[in-house]
Amino acid sequence: MSALIAAEGLHKAYGPTVALGGADLIVHAGEIVSVMGPSGSGKSTLLHCAAGLTVPDAGRVAYAGRELSRMSDVERSALRRREFGFVFQFGQLVPELTALQNVALPLRLDGVSRRTAERRATGWLDRLGLADKARARPGELSGGQQQRVAVARALVADPKVIFTDEPTGALDSIAGERVMEMLTSAARETGAAVVLVTHDARVAAYADRSIVVRDGRSSERAGVR
Amino acid sequence: MTIATAFLALLEERPQHGYDLKRAYDQHFGLDRPLHYGQVYTTLAKLLRNGLVSVDGVEGAGGPDRKRYTITDAGVTDIQRWLDEPEKPDQYLQSTLYAKVVGALLTGRSAAAVLDVQREEHLVAMRELTRRKQGGDLADRIICDRALFHLDADLRWLEHTATLLDELAAELRGTKE
Amino acid sequence: MRRTAAELALGVRLAFAGGRTGWIRTALTAAGVAVGAVALLLGASVPALLDARQDRALARADSTGAIEVPAGDTLLVAAVESQWGANAVRGRLIWPESTRAPLPPGVPAFPGEHRMYASPALQQALRGPDGDVLRKQMPYEVIGTIGPEGLSGPHEFAYYAGYQRVEKLVREGSWRVDHFGYTIPGDVESGTGTYVVVAAMLATLLLPIAIFIGAALRFGSDTRERRLAAIRLVGADRRAVLRIALGESLVPAVLGLTGGTALYLLARSRAADVQLFNVSVYPADIRPVPVLAVLVVLIVLALSAGMALLGFRGVAVEPLGVLRRSTVWRGRLWWRLLPLAAGLALLYPVVLPGEVGEDRTGAGVVLLLVALIPLLPYLVPVVARALTGGPVSWQLAAQQLRQNPVSSTRAVTGIVVAVTGAIALHTFFGAATVRRATPDDPADPGYMLQTAAYQAPAAMRARTALFEQVPGVRAGTVARYPLYSTSGTTHLPGYLVVGDCAALSQIATLDRCADGDAFTSGEVPAAVTLLDDSGDEPAPGDRLPVPRNLRHATLIGSDAEYASESILLTSGAMPAALSGVDPWFVETRMFATGDAPATVAGELRGVAAAIDPLAMFTAFAPEHDKYATLRTALDIGSTIILLMMGTGLLLDVAARLHDRRRLLGVLTAVGARRSTVIWSVLLQAVVPVLAGLLLAVGAGVALGAVLMRMSQVPILFDAPTVLTPVAAGLVLVLATTVAVLLPAARRVTRTEELRYE
Repeated sequence: MSALIAAEGLHKAYGPTVALGGADLIVHAGEIVSVMGPSGSGKSTLLHCAAGLTVPDAGRVAYAGRELSRMSDVERSALRRREFGFVFQFGQLVPELTALQNVALPLRLDGVSRRTAERRATGWLDRLGLADKARARPGELSGGQQQRVAVARALVADPKVIFTDEPTGALDSIAGERVMEMLTSAARETGAAVVLVTHDARVAAYADRSIVVRDGRSSERAGVR
Repeated sequence: MTIATAFLALLEERPQHGYDLKRAYDQHFGLDRPLHYGQVYTTLAKLLRNGLVSVDGVEGAGGPDRKRYTITDAGVTDIQRWLDEPEKPDQYLQSTLYAKVVGALLTGRSAAAVLDVQREEHLVAMRELTRRKQGGDLADRIICDRALFHLDADLRWLEHTATLLDELAAELRGTKE
Repeated sequence: MRRTAAELALGVRLAFAGGRTGWIRTALTAAGVAVGAVALLLGASVPALLDARQDRALARADSTGAIEVPAGDTLLVAAVESQWGANAVRGRLIWPESTRAPLPPGVPAFPGEHRMYASPALQQALRGPDGDVLRKQMPYEVIGTIGPEGLSGPHEFAYYAGYQRVEKLVREGSWRVDHFGYTIPGDVESGTGTYVVVAAMLATLLLPIAIFIGAALRFGSDTRERRLAAIRLVGADRRAVLRIALGESLVPAVLGLTGGTALYLLARSRAADVQLFNVSVYPADIRPVPVLAVLVVLIVLALSAGMALLGFRGVAVEPLGVLRRSTVWRGRLWWRLLPLAAGLALLYPVVLPGEVGEDRTGAGVVLLLVALIPLLPYLVPVVARALTGGPVSWQLAAQQLRQNPVSSTRAVTGIVVAVTGAIALHTFFGAATVRRATPDDPADPGYMLQTAAYQAPAAMRARTALFEQVPGVRAGTVARYPLYSTSGTTHLPGYLVVGDCAALSQIATLDRCADGDAFTSGEVPAAVTLLDDSGDEPAPGDRLPVPRNLRHATLIGSDAEYASESILLTSGAMPAALSGVDPWFVETRMFATGDAPATVAGELRGVAAAIDPLAMFTAFAPEHDKYATLRTALDIGSTIILLMMGTGLLLDVAARLHDRRRLLGVLTAVGARRSTVIWSVLLQAVVPVLAGLLLAVGAGVALGAVLMRMSQVPILFDAPTVLTPVAAGLVLVLATTVAVLLPAARRVTRTEELRYE
């Protein structure tokens, strides 16, 4: 099975600070991979590079065989709309838009008609138990609800990979579990791969396998068990 | 961790007399329970019998303490096997793991690798628990959660230790001199 | 395309759903756009307005030029151009020579003798206070109203009166017309000059508006950019983000355009109530030229879109957040001096003697105003560097000013430009008013009536008495005869002046005077030769003996300057031969003293009209302040601009405080006193203003001098005119800064601000 995402030998420095010093990440279609490591280890940078949000100083990232660094901003943006989904710790929802509009946003940006986009968005909100919150704006939702909206949005375009970075970081453990359960079960059903950056082992335990980033290097001892 | 393994680790570092072994053990592994002399010699006798150590010389006369012990190839392999084998995650893990880390550092092996192996073992256990939890009822969840939280604490200790490895190694080198 | 439409729609939605900050932003931007739209729409209406006025003016033009129209189906016309307060009065005395004579536009029928059709404004003034004074100028019965097609505007004072005597005055004041609407080649005023001026004014006006819109759009921009970054994460590319921002700017643009159009229509409906420079307009005349109207819409949209896009300069909205390219500020001086140099190059003929091209100077003035904008950010760090040391608060402020002068001066720039413009124009108007407030020479009369026919000495005295009936008025009536000069080399004519002692003493300084005395301002001739100018060439006319006992007198006032040797005779010394000769004119000179009523000009005109409606009445003293309306307009305009700039500054200070609240919180946390922090922010706002106002005074005075030189007004400055706009600008800045600062300071300097998100 060929890798969906193959990131090899990534180097990235922010000024004098080395975030990545030769990190690798392989993600196969449909699997859930957690990326663990202490804070400052470079695990978020690894995710950003893998998703094409950050261009590494050295190394290559290929998505489905295409190198991300060779793509234009337009192509990478299209990937984000169609193939990728994102769930971050916070700040990814547009506060001015309702939950429904937020979820429909990637589809709308991709030129899907409003009707279709909102129908699909409603479907996902229902699945994530937010049917009655469609008209609410993010400010009117709890943290867990906001993250579930973000999960719905990450899934709405039927992505191949969902990148998540501390998705439960701002939540209490029960709300966090709920988000993780919904995210992983939905991802398994739709066949989306998940890259799960977290420092929390209990979150990482939702993954099929884990890699560890320490001082900008990734390591993976045991394979899938 | 057994006293035997600890002795092997100490001997891999350099051949030593029984009395030195006891002192080194007390320092690194003994914690609040110093080793009894009797234990030292029974353990060494067992190791000799199993071919994991050998006596490389007797200096002078008198006293049982004049024998110097050296680790054999079989002994080195035994240590390696011990380090490679992750511990069953349980509540006494910390002390055992600590011994392993020290052992790895003393023998010049990778302590980080020890921790990585252990982390993966923990994660496997946690994944299993998480799966069970997702499929189970509330009682299952609560039971699984208890285990998960314990494992999580272990892992956090692992991470914490991992960041301190260099410092620990330096300290160990210092006591060796 | 559906994607683009969705992006624009998203932007529109974001503009509406931005919470309180978003609404403030949208509302302020819309207000800026609205002001811009009104200005542009009015500007776009100027051509149509002028055309309409000109069309009507041409349609009623009755000046045949040099052509003499033979009698026939003709109308006899005599012009009475007069003045009532600030209003010019266009009067026509008419009498038809045939029933088929042409009717003036707007007049339904020929008025009978001493009846008139009057414009609505004139009728209103006649009914109003002092109407009886005005009535003396046109003692005719109003029998109807002149229609709009016969008036240049709703506020024009005009009348057509039936006046049979014009039949006798052909070539001596009246003339024949066989139709209305004469065009005299070369007399049609070319519109291009006006358009250029209007365009320049609009450009100057649009500049502060653009600055204001920019400031309004920057309000809350950090949260907005973060939000765009969030949208970028879910797959918007860079261009899509710009399109979303464009969609967002579309909302205030459309709101502003709608509001601006409403304001424009309101202004248009009220246009009939307004007049400037004797120009009043009918609402129907105010309509934008269609092409220009479309252009206005495009300019307004482009303005708001352009400012929105300009806000992204140096800002990269990336999926992970907003990157600000914090380029190190390099204050290069040379390019900042380019507009200044160009402006000075255009203006430099001003310092040379001779005529000054108005277009060139106008462009130079505008350029000089624009040149201030890049200079200010350079000046501020220089000031900050020059004043090193001092308390901690100043050090903090100076550091910030040195590092980021552009953002510190952005909002101030507009104020500086506005203040400069205000100083320049106010000082110019001030100087212009000073010159025009008095006659050329203090000894000259304020008003003068000139009639052609011979008047006996008694009649002259009677005429003087008529005018002196007006309280506070002294008058004197003399008859003037020009003298024929044999030398022919001098351009200045000499006069034989006949009048009583009182009248003569208004022309020359006499040692003593009794009836029968005679004076000369030069040598003592035995006889003088009158000038006969009835022919094409000046010819010698009657030769008159001069009394022997001529005493010397010195001409005063303008006569001293413009007349050569003259003979002054009291009536008793008048040679008998002179009574048969018509004088050049009989002039009554009137001096208004401080006791004269406010309507003195009107009263005197009324007396003059009673003597002869066609007599030439000249006012040397201003009957009103010609620049008053313009000054009011300038005050209103600069107030609006200053208010806009003040609001912009308010937003800017608020935004800057918001941006730096963490830093300020840290300062407080490490023990800086709140007053230190507040002072540092205050100094940071005030220092650019002080530097800017310094620049404004210099530039404003220079520009004022240029304008005075251009209009050949003596260059004159007084401190209040210069300092008032400065004070206004300073007060505005201080008030807005303090208004934002004090309430915000308490919030900002709380250490709780240190907590994250």
